[in-house]
Amino acid sequence: MSSTMSFKTVTVSALGLLLVSGALASPVFADGTLTVSSPQDPGSWDPVDTFLVNWASVGTNLFDGLTYRGPDMKLVPALATSWNVLDDGMRIRFKLREGVTFHDGEPFNAEAVKFTFDRLLGEEGAKGPQQSNYTAIENVEIIDDNTVDFHLKAPDPVLLTKLAGYGAMIVPPQYIKEHGETYFNTHPVGTGPFQFVSYEPKVDIKLKAYDGFWGDGPKLSELDYRFISEPSTAVAELQSGGVDIVIPPTIPIAMIPTIEDDDNLDLITTSGPTVYALRFNTADGITADERVRKALIMAVDRKSIVDGILGGQAQVIASFQGERSFGFDPEMQPLPYDPDKAKQLLEEAGVKPGAQVQIDIRGNDATFAEVTQAVAAYLSMVGITASIHPVETNTLLNDIIPQGKTGAMFQQSWGGWTFDFDNTAYAMYHSGQKWNPYDSDPKMDELLESQRSLTDPKERERILQQIAHYAADRALELPLYSLNAIYGVNKRVKHFVPAPDNRMRLNDVEVE
Amino acid sequence: MTGFIVKRFAQAIFVVIAVSLIVAVAIRMTGDPALMIAQGATNITQADLDRIREGLGLNQPFLVQYLDSLRGLVTWDLGNSFVGGTPVNLLVDKALPATLSLAFASMFVSIAVSIPLGIRAAVARGRGSDQLIRIFSLLGLSFPNFWLATMLVLLFSITLKWLPPSGMSGFASFIMPAVTMGVILTATNVRLVRTTMLDTLNSQYIMVARAKGLSERKVLYKHALRNCAIPLITYFGLQFGGLLGGIVVIERVFNWPGMGTLAFDAVAARDYPVLQSVIMILALLIVGINLLVDIAYGIVDPRIRTK
Repeated sequence: MSSTMSFKTVTVSALGLLLVSGALASPVFADGTLTVSSPQDPGSWDPVDTFLVNWASVGTNLFDGLTYRGPDMKLVPALATSWNVLDDGMRIRFKLREGVTFHDGEPFNAEAVKFTFDRLLGEEGAKGPQQSNYTAIENVEIIDDNTVDFHLKAPDPVLLTKLAGYGAMIVPPQYIKEHGETYFNTHPVGTGPFQFVSYEPKVDIKLKAYDGFWGDGPKLSELDYRFISEPSTAVAELQSGGVDIVIPPTIPIAMIPTIEDDDNLDLITTSGPTVYALRFNTADGITADERVRKALIMAVDRKSIVDGILGGQAQVIASFQGERSFGFDPEMQPLPYDPDKAKQLLEEAGVKPGAQVQIDIRGNDATFAEVTQAVAAYLSMVGITASIHPVETNTLLNDIIPQGKTGAMFQQSWGGWTFDFDNTAYAMYHSGQKWNPYDSDPKMDELLESQRSLTDPKERERILQQIAHYAADRALELPLYSLNAIYGVNKRVKHFVPAPDNRMRLNDVEVE
Repeated sequence: MTGFIVKRFAQAIFVVIAVSLIVAVAIRMTGDPALMIAQGATNITQADLDRIREGLGLNQPFLVQYLDSLRGLVTWDLGNSFVGGTPVNLLVDKALPATLSLAFASMFVSIAVSIPLGIRAAVARGRGSDQLIRIFSLLGLSFPNFWLATMLVLLFSITLKWLPPSGMSGFASFIMPAVTMGVILTATNVRLVRTTMLDTLNSQYIMVARAKGLSERKVLYKHALRNCAIPLITYFGLQFGGLLGGIVVIERVFNWPGMGTLAFDAVAARDYPVLQSVIMILALLIVGINLLVDIAYGIVDPRIRTK
């Protein structure tokens, strides 16, 4: 299994080719329209309203945060040019960029920052899901026109990352006051490289280049997003030239060959945030025994599943996180595939051949259904009979798991855009969390709580890695793989860099 | 006659209310929209969820929510979508014409094909072209429409690049979805036209027409077809109602911005206001069409009234 850990940062077959062709400077125009197929219309473009990744695919081009994190995962200045963490992490001072204007012409300043966060943390933010992510912020104080202080209730080590996306996008105070909240939902205005042109619900949103952008302006003149939810339809549009890019999560593994075989198309992939695991009922049944859990892990050849079913578009994982996650330990090895050892452990635990386990999975995920069938086949080889029980995704997530009514194993696929292991680990392992109905472990709780307010990144990373090791030692889940973010791209598109988290900013992209 | 209309009308209202109750109760059994909205938030607390529910109006008792939705339907103020807060009226104003125009186009395709073919089959009863038409009709019935849609896209969009594979953007975009739906309808309609035509062709007045020495063409299209028209129009009318329900799958395959797409997304998102509105509007249309057919029958045929 050791070979599975040596994956590269960007597993891209076509990207190298793309970069070369871009470097050769084939004739490209300084303008042009790029059409993107997005699987979901978030319904509102207001940053405080949604968690949908497909909001971010558009929103990242419309809005700026104080910080920015691009596909290279480095946190860099955006609307703030610099910042200082003060008072043991209880206060952060931001110097703001000068001379920035919103798309409607109003200036960006300290007032706009205060307005944005008052709104997010106030009544308007309370109606949406984003507020809960920023509750560490007590208030924003205006020091002068270009300086603000964030006063925190408690240190939040992930806050600077969270300021780069979603609810923390800076919004225009005058515009919202003048036009109202409802209007803003469907007529967004920000400071980003593209500005809003039109939006037709369930059909498309159109943007155009904003010539007053503070950074390197876009090379495209127009940027259109069409909402196409059916994967085969999106791929048909890509093949016929109706769209230039199909963004995740759309293209299923089974359609990868269709794109690879098309001379006009590239498949561009990068390691994404979403990881897949089959978690265990650690409270009842045979999986209450740690030896059984380890046996079930060792019975499954995860490498073969990744190569055979996922076309290599995934990496085997040792803990519930991918390689880009903060808290990922490159040294950590998954339990090896060892059916003999598995049988031995089962025998020790007194599990008789023919023992039954039920595996609950999300019913709409055809690829994972195939993966689970392979898992069941491997389990049968060590004498365990697995029955697969597909359930509608939201029923599984919101009813069956929280109420602890799953089978011995159940699917969990998760990963936050912040790529911080705390986001996953706390939700999966802390006592009383809705997705942790079975396990309660004071040592785990203590570890999880201890890192939450640490401002020293090194120490925090060490504890997060320790959490990952501890969860693996206790075999709380059967870690399967981290799935790539898969983009289908027309070859006329140049300089496209795949965003691992769908937060793609397209100012460098050109079309032939 | 008035009594008959009043009775039918009362029955229609009863059906609509029953549908609205079933929909309202059923969708609330599928899950909590607040949990869906907060899915990405791992730090969410019960208080956060309660706040989101309050914002959606879900803290009200069921009866209040239900009556509000009925009132909304009557005053044509359908509330706001749970996903992003878009007014449902705005969504329906675009989606309903999209669905209706596709349904009309499909009916047009079906009628334009099934009437000549059905007549041909009736005239050639038992002979080669009748057999051939019946085999094609059986094939048409057996195709799953999403498969046919995929094959059309493969041929006309990907290989030939003649037609756009999805979306609603002018005449060309109607062709594949309308043909897909039309073929399925045609399969049944051809048989219906054939049977109706056969009945008519055996009537005595057709024999009289032929005996008068009229051309076969005139006999078929002027005398026979006219007499077939009443049952056929009735059937097509009822079929139109059924078509509105069956269009969901086709809308999804062709990414058609209609009521089916709205309903599909709304189910996945537990978007009560959108789903309730879409189903109620479709139910009203279908019940309305059936009511008109019933009343029309009652007017034409006194025996139906008295039953």
